[in-house]
Amino acid sequence: MSQNIPRIEVKDLVVKYGNVTAVDRVSFNIGPGELVTLLGPSGCGKTTTLRAIAGLETPSDGTIRLNSQTMYSGAERLNVPAEKRGVSMVFQSYAIWPHMTVFENVAYGLRVRKLPQAEVKQNVDRVLDMVQMRQYADRPSSKLSGGQQQRVAVARAIAFSPNVVLFDEPLSNLDAKLRAEMRVELRELQRRLDITSLYVTHDQEEALAISDRVIVMNGGQIEQLGSPEDIYDRPGSHFVADFVGSANMIPGKVTGDGPDGYLLYEMTGGATVRIMRPADGRGQGGTIALRSAYIHFGQTSGRQNAVNGTIHRRMFHGDFIQYVVDWPAGQLIVRRPPTEMFEEGSGVTVSFAPEHCVLL
Amino acid sequence: MRMPSAQQWTMLVLLFVCSALVLYPLGFLITQSLNTGDPQVFPPEEFGLSNYFNLYEDVRIISNTLLVACISTVLAVIFGFIQAWILTRTAIPGRERLERLMELPYYMTPLIGALAWGVLLGPKTGLINQLWRSIGFESDLFDIYTPWGIAWVMALFEGTVAFVMISASMKSMDPSLEESSRVLGASKLRTMLKITLPLVTPGVLSATIFVFAEMLGSFAAAFVLGIPGRFYVVTTSIWQAALSWPPDYGRAAAMGLSLFIAMVVSLGAARLVMRHGSYATITGKAFRPRPMDVGLMKWPLLSIAWGYILFAVILPLGALTLTSFQTFATVIIPQMKFTLANYQTALQMGSLGPAFINSMILGVSVATIGVPIIGVLAWIIYRSNMPMRGPMEYIIMVPAAVPRLVFGLGLLWAWINIPIPIYGTLWLLGIAYFTVFMPLGLRTMAGVVLQVDKSLEECARVCGAGWGYQMRTVTLPLLRPGLIAAWLLIFISSVRELGASVFLMGPHSKVIAPSIVNSWLTASSELSAAMALIQTVMVFVAVAIMFRVARRVGGVHE
Repeated sequence: MSQNIPRIEVKDLVVKYGNVTAVDRVSFNIGPGELVTLLGPSGCGKTTTLRAIAGLETPSDGTIRLNSQTMYSGAERLNVPAEKRGVSMVFQSYAIWPHMTVFENVAYGLRVRKLPQAEVKQNVDRVLDMVQMRQYADRPSSKLSGGQQQRVAVARAIAFSPNVVLFDEPLSNLDAKLRAEMRVELRELQRRLDITSLYVTHDQEEALAISDRVIVMNGGQIEQLGSPEDIYDRPGSHFVADFVGSANMIPGKVTGDGPDGYLLYEMTGGATVRIMRPADGRGQGGTIALRSAYIHFGQTSGRQNAVNGTIHRRMFHGDFIQYVVDWPAGQLIVRRPPTEMFEEGSGVTVSFAPEHCVLL
Repeated sequence: MRMPSAQQWTMLVLLFVCSALVLYPLGFLITQSLNTGDPQVFPPEEFGLSNYFNLYEDVRIISNTLLVACISTVLAVIFGFIQAWILTRTAIPGRERLERLMELPYYMTPLIGALAWGVLLGPKTGLINQLWRSIGFESDLFDIYTPWGIAWVMALFEGTVAFVMISASMKSMDPSLEESSRVLGASKLRTMLKITLPLVTPGVLSATIFVFAEMLGSFAAAFVLGIPGRFYVVTTSIWQAALSWPPDYGRAAAMGLSLFIAMVVSLGAARLVMRHGSYATITGKAFRPRPMDVGLMKWPLLSIAWGYILFAVILPLGALTLTSFQTFATVIIPQMKFTLANYQTALQMGSLGPAFINSMILGVSVATIGVPIIGVLAWIIYRSNMPMRGPMEYIIMVPAAVPRLVFGLGLLWAWINIPIPIYGTLWLLGIAYFTVFMPLGLRTMAGVVLQVDKSLEECARVCGAGWGYQMRTVTLPLLRPGLIAAWLLIFISSVRELGASVFLMGPHSKVIAPSIVNSWLTASSELSAAMALIQTVMVFVAVAIMFRVARRVGGVHE
């Protein structure tokens, strides 16, 4: 039964700073053990939403329920202070107290709860083991590297066994390589301890990689909510297609029904392609989004769209090559593996599946 | 939204009390300046502006004040600019040490400086003048008891303030701005004229206006060196009007408020120049500009830099030391008679000893009680979301713009006319010190409070700690270095306070600085020198502790 009751319930949340509405009627639920990401550009309200759930920001309206208990309700004028909410949080700056040792930092939440000394020790050792920081327990925390501080911050957040942990851009201060490693470790830990997590990030790659579900926010509102694959393959709006991954936005108009249940779409500048019929009547028409990773060079099969173009520019990125292709509808960005090398100025046939043309 | 009410109550009470401490004496000052009836009657019976109109009749005092302020400002800015340029932009040996020594004049105070220069260049008896005559000249080399003398002393000691402000603006300049000019083909000279100077100008200009405002309100040098020659500026004539018999409080208050307004206008102008004219401080980052290699020029530059230290620190302290150990101060070696009697008199119970004890008591208790209060105030103003905190900051910062002498005057009436019998006791002095040093404490602690990342506190809350527990385990320990620095600064300021104490000290509540001045005006310069040195030692010990603490915790500095 508890399996179905959400740990975090946010309903019609509104947060205002003076006249500015930072969060505008946001609602979502997070189930037990789930890791959900709030993704968006800076100023989109994602951190404010997280802080409101932690109790560090006072909302203007709506409800926040944690573990089925109301923590904030605009209607009932109820606002439980942060320290009584029982959630835990990892801060962007890590917020490691520099005047304490690693052990004291991690023990803080346990000591606040007046646990006996032996139990404090046992728990701190347990979580420090989990983040491989046991040998640093007695080190002054001001003498830690960024990555080590990050681990201590995580250990501190899980030490008192909270069932909800909030992450506020926890990896954004690490360098790219360490970030990729920590991402894997965090996900492992979250799965192992079955912690319900809400995770804020502006890094779309990170969001797609670690989440069960992603909430894309923009201008204080939710743009789209879905699995990472859903968000990537079927962006619900121009904003999502543009913000998550690399996509070509191709203007044009739907001209009629094609074979096999596809629609015919005439791109501005000529050439008609087959596109997928939007499942739930989504899409106003006018633009399609086409991921640059889903485009091939050369005719592959009859079901695919194929259009002729010329390679305008080639940029070698290492893990992939980015081509700018001149084609009837202007310029097209194409990403291919570094094994597929074409010369600038050579003619190519670009092909892509109708399923990957998402009508916005 | 609801807030823990204990927290809110603490805040409200504190804010109310502190703003009352500031506004109540100011209110008295204003009513008194408008009082045209009998100055002894309270509340006043007749109101008018005649006190203000009468000020214009005394053009001489205004012109004296402007004369001294202008000369000393120009000198101080020249001193400050040259020192700042040498110490931040040229590669001379021992720069770091010199930079640290530059703080000493600030801690020595203009009072000590004025006494020392009186000892050095007083007519006939001044040590340098004695020397001058002994090598055959008929007259004095220089008479310090003149407007130029007063301006010289004020400039020497305000020079460090100009130095700090100007070198800050030189340091905050990104060296790549100059480097890109050089890379684009401009010569050293052209870069200096077209890039460096325009970038530094706003800093220098705002330092000039700031120093000018300080000069208008400065009291000690004009008092020590002006009174013997009957040369009065605004501050000394306020003192005279209030303490002569019969006292002319209306006139004193009108002068005090006019001075206050002049200072507020200048300080506002200085801030405006800094905010709107400054490109250099936008990033707020401190750069260390690559020092210029000056070749053989480094020796003259080095002697200029040390020359300032010589005039502002070494010579004055040397003269005071030499004087304090003699029965009659002289530099003619055969005539020297050494004695410890001056120190004995200075420390003796019954005469001047109590002043030292009182000052110690005041310094320790004002700092000890004041620091936690100001710490909480700083936290309220810079961290909480209390609705009134903006205006409150302004009110608490008001005493910074009021000359302490004027504030002392307001406090004098405010507490004479209240049925709590604390006039003439240390309590009144304590309250006065707390009020006038609130801005200093607040500014010191604001830096520290703002340095503490907000998420450190938030994290404690999310971990389950209440407000009190969080304050105790996280906020206060993190603020500790700042609190210690603030404690010592307030202690130092209290121990050497002169302006407000002049009005508030009574026969049973003597404190050091006014006692030194009294002894200078009425007793011997040898005794005064001994007292001045004792005070200086007290201050320097505190400064030494402060630097030791600052170095140990690293980074937190004033």
